Amino acid sequence: MTNDIFLKLKGIQKSFGGVHALKGVDLEIRKGEIHCLAGENGCGKSTLIKAISGVHEIDGGEIEIEGEKVEKMRPIDAINRGIQVIYQDFAVFPNLTVAENIALNGEVKNKARLVDWKEVHRTAEEAMNQVGAKLDPDIQLERLPVAGKQMVAICRAIINDAKLLILDEPTTALNEKEVENLWKVVRSLKEKGIAIMIVNHKLDEIYEIADRLTILRNGSFVSTGLISEYDTARFTKDMTGHDVTSAKYAPEESGEEIFRVEGLSLSGRFTDVSFSMNRGDILGITGLLGSGRGEIGEALFGITPVESGRIYLNGKEIQIKSVNDAIKNQIGYVPEDRLTQGLFMQRSILDNVVVSSIRKYFHGVKLDDNQMEEAADHWIKELSIATPSAKPAVRNLSGGNAQKVVISKWLNTDPRLFILNGPTVGVDIGAKSEIHQILRGLAQKGIGIIIISDDLPELLTNCNKIIIMRDGRIGEVTDNTIERIEL
Amino acid sequence: MKEKNKYAFLTSTQMILVYVIIAFSLVVGFRQPAFFSPATIITICRTGIFTMCFALCEMVVILSGGIDVSFPAIGCVAMYVPMYIVNRVYKIDSAFFAFAVAIIIGLLFGLLNGFLVSVLELPPLIATLATSSVASGGVVTLLGTREFTNLPSSLQAIYNTNLITYTAPDSGFTYPLNVLILVPVVAALLVSWVLRKTMLGRGLYAIGGDKNAARVAGFNVRKLQFIAYVFSGVFTGIAAMIYNILMHSATTSALMGDEMITIAACVIGGVRITGGHGTVLGTFLGVLLITLVQNNLNMLGIPTSWQRFVVGIVILLGTILTSWQAKRSMNAGRA
Amino acid sequence: MNNTTKTSKQRDDHIVVLFGMMIFVLVLMAILKGKTYFTMANLRSMIFQFPEYGVLSFGMMACMIAGGIDLSLVGIMNLSGVTAALMIKAGLPIPLAILAALAVGTACGAFNGFIIGSLDIPAMLVTLCGLEVYSGLVLAITGGPAVNNMTDAFKNIANGFVGPVPGVLFIFIAVALLVAFVMKYTIFGHNIYFLGSNKKAARYSGIDTLKTIVMTHAFSGLLGAISGVIITSHLNSAKSSNGSTYTLLSLLIVVLGGVNPDGGKGKVIGVTLSIVLLQLIANAFTIMRAPDTLKTFTNGCLLVVALILDVVLEKRALKRASRTIPS
Repeated sequence: MTNDIFLKLKGIQKSFGGVHALKGVDLEIRKGEIHCLAGENGCGKSTLIKAISGVHEIDGGEIEIEGEKVEKMRPIDAINRGIQVIYQDFAVFPNLTVAENIALNGEVKNKARLVDWKEVHRTAEEAMNQVGAKLDPDIQLERLPVAGKQMVAICRAIINDAKLLILDEPTTALNEKEVENLWKVVRSLKEKGIAIMIVNHKLDEIYEIADRLTILRNGSFVSTGLISEYDTARFTKDMTGHDVTSAKYAPEESGEEIFRVEGLSLSGRFTDVSFSMNRGDILGITGLLGSGRGEIGEALFGITPVESGRIYLNGKEIQIKSVNDAIKNQIGYVPEDRLTQGLFMQRSILDNVVVSSIRKYFHGVKLDDNQMEEAADHWIKELSIATPSAKPAVRNLSGGNAQKVVISKWLNTDPRLFILNGPTVGVDIGAKSEIHQILRGLAQKGIGIIIISDDLPELLTNCNKIIIMRDGRIGEVTDNTIERIEL
Repeated sequence: MKEKNKYAFLTSTQMILVYVIIAFSLVVGFRQPAFFSPATIITICRTGIFTMCFALCEMVVILSGGIDVSFPAIGCVAMYVPMYIVNRVYKIDSAFFAFAVAIIIGLLFGLLNGFLVSVLELPPLIATLATSSVASGGVVTLLGTREFTNLPSSLQAIYNTNLITYTAPDSGFTYPLNVLILVPVVAALLVSWVLRKTMLGRGLYAIGGDKNAARVAGFNVRKLQFIAYVFSGVFTGIAAMIYNILMHSATTSALMGDEMITIAACVIGGVRITGGHGTVLGTFLGVLLITLVQNNLNMLGIPTSWQRFVVGIVILLGTILTSWQAKRSMNAGRA
Repeated sequence: MNNTTKTSKQRDDHIVVLFGMMIFVLVLMAILKGKTYFTMANLRSMIFQFPEYGVLSFGMMACMIAGGIDLSLVGIMNLSGVTAALMIKAGLPIPLAILAALAVGTACGAFNGFIIGSLDIPAMLVTLCGLEVYSGLVLAITGGPAVNNMTDAFKNIANGFVGPVPGVLFIFIAVALLVAFVMKYTIFGHNIYFLGSNKKAARYSGIDTLKTIVMTHAFSGLLGAISGVIITSHLNSAKSSNGSTYTLLSLLIVVLGGVNPDGGKGKVIGVTLSIVLLQLIANAFTIMRAPDTLKTFTNGCLLVVALILDVVLEKRALKRASRTIPS
C-alpha cells in the first residue's frame, strides 16, 4: 500500500515574518491519481505548492517522496525527483517556438553547448504524442492562445520525467472546449501512472476530474478523502468553515426598472444579449471563460463597445462607444485583474480613489487638494479600509483592502450602474463577506449592481437574478432559489 | 496550412524589406542607369562595413532585452587610444598591437555596461548613456582631442590589401574592395551560427523573451547579459579599428551619433526593441536598405541638405512598419 | 488645514540628498576657490547658462513621468529656434516669431505623441527617429550654415538684465512654476502620473490615454521650443547642432532629480534642484579651469550614482511603509 504513495507531507509549517501561512498541513498523493487541493483564497494553497516544489523552505514537518524522507528541498531537488509545477503564468518563452519551449529546459539541464535541432524536434514530437497535444512545433508561442501555451508547459513537464504534475488553477483562463481537452490530457497522463495535483476551488470541476480531494482552510488541514465522500454541503462547510445557511439576498420587489439592454451583439464575443434589472436587484452573470460573461462587462464599460443593440439606463437610452461615455453615464467597472487593470500600485490610496472622479475637484484653475483628501478619508472610513491614512501606496495593502480601494474609486463617481468582474478574486474570507455586504447596501440604495463571476456560491448567495452565458448567448436565466448552477 | 505559411512568409518583415530594397533600386536605376554597375555594389559594401559591424553588436544586445547606446563612444576610445600611443608615446608598428588595445578597451567598457545592467540592474538605456559619457569624457580629458591621420605601416599594409578592384570601363575610376569587408561577413555568419545553433544563442533569445522564465529554466541570466554587452564592446573595438584603417582618421568624436542609424537598422530589420526577436539576416537587410538610401539620395536628385530629413523619415516609416508587424504577430495569439 | 505637518512627516529623502550635494559643492568651492566662485560676476554667468537646458529638462521630466522618454527634444529645440530666427530675419515682429516657434515645437511634440500613442510604439524609438527628422528639417531649411545676427531686441531675451539680475532667470522661474502647477494642480498633470504608473489601469479608470500621451509630448515640445528661443537668443545663432550634449544632460538632470525612468514618479522641485546642482558643478569645473570633457565624464558617473541612489532610497521607503501598515 505504501508503495502507491508518491508524496507524503506531515505537519508542514511555514510562516512569513510572524504570520503562519501553513500550520501543520498533511497531504498524501498516490501514484496515478488525480488529487484536488481546494480552499478559499489565502488558505495557503500556493504556499503549500511552493513548499513542495522547494521554492519555500519549510519551518517544520516532514516531506517524504516515494517513501524516502527529504531533508532539505531545493527547487532543483524537487525537479530531480520528478515534481513539476505549472503556475498560472506557465513560465514559457513567447518569442521561441513550441518545439524549443518544450525541449529547452532539458538541454539546459544537460549542460548542452550546441543545439541539436533534430533532437529538439524529436523531443517535442515525443512529448506532444505522450500528452496528445496537436500543435505546430515551429510556431512562435506568442501566436498561440492561452490553452496552447498551457499545453506546451505540460509537454515540457512531461518530457522532464514528471512523476507528480502540479497544476495551479489551470482552468481560470480556458474556455469550455479547452477545459474538456485539458481534462482529456490529464486523464491520459493519469493512465501512465503520473500523479496529478490540481489546485482548484470550483466544485463542479472537482467532481468531474478528481479522484480524491484535500481541503485547506486558513493554513490548516481540514479534511481529505475520496471525491464520493463529499457532497455540496460538506464541501462548502469544509471550505468556508460554516454551513451554507448564509442568508441569500432577497430584495423587496420594487418593480421599478433601472437598467435594460436589448439585443447587444459584438462579433466573436456575444450575440443578442437582452436583460433588464429592477431597483434593488443584484444581477449575476456567469458562464465559462469565452462564453461572453466578461466581455459583456467590458462592452458595457466601453472598453470594447458593442456593435449593435440598445442600452437603457433609468429609462433613457444611452450610447456607450468609449470608456468616457460609460463614465459620463455614471457606469462604474471593477475589472477582472485588479493588479494590472484596477490599481496604480505605487500611487497613494488617495490618488487611486479620485482618479476617475478627478474632474469634481477642479475648481476655477486648479485641483482642490483638501477636498480630494476628504473624499479619500470618507471612503476609508465608510468601507473600513485598514490603513492609517490615505497617503500610503496601494501596494502596501492586502488583497481585500486593495479591492475596497477599487470599489471606492467608482463609488466616488456616484455610479448609477456598477459592474464588478470577479469582485472577490484573491480576497480573503473576511473581506469577501464585507464586500458582499457593501454591494447589498448599494443595491438597496438603488444602484444597479452586476456581478460577473465564476464563483457560483458567491452568485447564489448575493444575486437575486442570475444569467448563465453559453457560447456567447444567454443560456439560462434563473433566480437564486436553486441549489446548484450547471454551466 | 501550407498556403497560409506561404502567405506569412511573403508578408514577413524580411520579405517586405526585400521588396522595398528592390523597388528603391529600380527607382534609382531608372533615374540613373549608372546605378546598375559593379561599382555600386562595391561602394555599398565599403560604406556599409561599419554600420553592419555596429548593427551586429546592437542586435545582440537588443535581443537579450537591453539596448546599447555607448558603442560610438567606446569605438572612438578604442581607435583613439592605440593611435595616440603609436603617434605620441612609443612607435609600435604592429597591427596586432593596435587591434589588441582596441579589443581590450572594448572589453573593459563592455564589462562596465554588463556590470551596470546585470549586477546593478539599472535601465540599459541610461546605464549605457552613462558609460558613453564616462568613456568619451574620460579619454578626452586624459589625452586631448587630436586627429591622427597617419597610419603606421602595418595598418597601412592592411589598407592596401584589396580583395578585388573594379575599374569602370568608361570613366577609368577604380573601385577597390578592401579585404576588411570579410570581417563583418565572417562575424555575421558566426553570430548567426551562435544564435541559431548554440545554447548561448538560444539563451540570449530566452532572456530577451522572458527573464523570469529563463531563470526558472535554469539559464544564468546575469552571465548571458554580461556576454551580450561584452561581445558588443569587444566587437565595437574591432570595428572602430577597421574604421580607423579605412578612413585614415582617428578622432574622439568620429562615430558619435551613429547609435541612431544603427538602432534604426536593427529595428527596420525586424529586431524587436523589447527583446527576444530578430535575426542576422533581417539586420543585414536593414543595414542594406539604410546604406542604399543614404548613398543614393544624390542620385535621386535630393539636395544634400535635405538628406538627413529624408533618412529620418525612412527610418520612421520602417519603425512604424515593423511595430505594426510585431503587433500583428502578437494578436494572432489572442484570436 | 494641517498641511504643513503632513508634508514634513512625508520626508523626501531625494530632496535631502540633493541639498546635501549642493552644500558639499559649495563648501568645497569655498575652500578651493572661494574668492572667484562667490562673486556677483560668477553668479550672473551661472544664471545665463542653465535656463536653456533647465527648461528642456522639464520636458524630459514630463515624458519620463508619463512612462516614456523624449530623445527628440534637442531637435525640437533647434527647429523652433530656427523658425524664430528666420522670421526675425524676415523682419517679422518678435512676439509673432516666438509664437510661431512655440507652435512648431508643440506640433512636433504632438506628432511624436500621436505616433507613440496611436500605434503603440515605444517612445524611445519614435523620439529617436523624431530627433533625426527634426534635425534634418533644420538642415533642410537652413541649407547647412547657421542663421546668425538677429535683432538686438531678440538678443536681449536671453542676454538682457532686469535690474542687476539676468532676465532669463525670470523666464526659467516662470516656466518652473508653470510646470509645477500643471503637474500638481491640473487634471492633465495627474493623468501624466497615472499614465506612467499603470497605463492599463489608466484606461480602465476612464483616462483617455492617447490624448494624454499626445498632450504630454506636445507639452514637452512646447518646453523644448521655449528653450529653443532662449538658446537662439543667447547664442544669437540657430543651427542643427546647437546644444547637442543636452539630451544626455537633461536625462542626467531628471534621473538625478528623482524621476523614475520607468515612469509614474518625479517632482518639479527635485528636477529644479538637480538643475541648479549641475550648474554649480559645471561652473566649479570652469573656475578650476578643468576641461569641459571632465564635466562629461563626471556627469556620466553622477548618472550612475543617481540611479543607484534611487534604488537604495526606494528600498528604504518600502521598508518604512511596510512597518507603518498592518498587513
